Amino acid sequence: MERELLKEKLTVIFRSVFSNGDLQISDSLTANDVANWDSLSHMILIGEVEKSLGITFKLKELNKMKNVGDMMDIILSKL
Amino acid sequence: MMSELNIRKAVMEDVPFLVDTIIEAEKSGTDILTYTTIFGLSESESRKYISDMLLEEVDGCELSVSSFLIAEKDGQYAAAVGAWVEGAEGMPSSMLKGNLLNYTLPKQCIEKAVSLNSLVKDLHIEYINNTIQIGLVYVSAHFRGLGLANKLIEKQIEQLLNGAPEISECYVQVFGNNLAAIKSYEKSQFVKLSERRSDNSSITNYFPANSKWLMSRKVK
Repeated sequence: MERELLKEKLTVIFRSVFSNGDLQISDSLTANDVANWDSLSHMILIGEVEKSLGITFKLKELNKMKNVGDMMDIILSKL
Repeated sequence: MMSELNIRKAVMEDVPFLVDTIIEAEKSGTDILTYTTIFGLSESESRKYISDMLLEEVDGCELSVSSFLIAEKDGQYAAAVGAWVEGAEGMPSSMLKGNLLNYTLPKQCIEKAVSLNSLVKDLHIEYINNTIQIGLVYVSAHFRGLGLANKLIEKQIEQLLNGAPEISECYVQVFGNNLAAIKSYEKSQFVKLSERRSDNSSITNYFPANSKWLMSRKVK
């Protein structure tokens, strides 16, 4: 999957999880940039990404995802 | 004979007591446990999964063994307090906890939580980067009234400042129903900064109270 296509798919998931239809994602986006990105939202976000893309993250991979760019790198390495 | 108090960092052998700490602190003096109400787990299942998350040894969040100090009195577990410097592990503690929840809990727990996500946001208070966060606090029933929570909080602040001397503020979040905890934090010089309140009448089906206080104190 190309990075741009992945970004489009993730944008849909992020907008749904954070109930924000205008949310724009970028490589540098972190939890500090999005309102209400709490532990429950994060758990749901990761679960939705896994379900939507048919992948499963290891805990070590999750704890390396400091921003959306890290998340996309790890996802692309698994597809 | 003088009663002996020992305060020390938690280690993996303390996980069963830390599970008690997390369960009781989450209940905030009520019978409502969010692991049960939000994730649909029984209390015994919650204990198992909380233990599993602690055993993953992830640092820097509410579910980190390394975040806790334990007080023992006369060789018995008496109290525990969790605390960390927000963002010290390079990412928000909420992400670290969310990762543990996602990785450890059964997928049906996530499905159940999706429907409650907007309700939960009503009481959400952001953690502030580069501040000390006091997380879960618990004193065993036999050892209440001895000031153990405050002694542990002071020790946490002292130890965390040793590793991060630039930190100037410490925060704690507490449910509005927990007057004993609020009084205890006030004795430790915490003052109320703000309050989140939910007008949703069903909130107390899921949380111990319909409000949460943010309290803070200067640490230098």
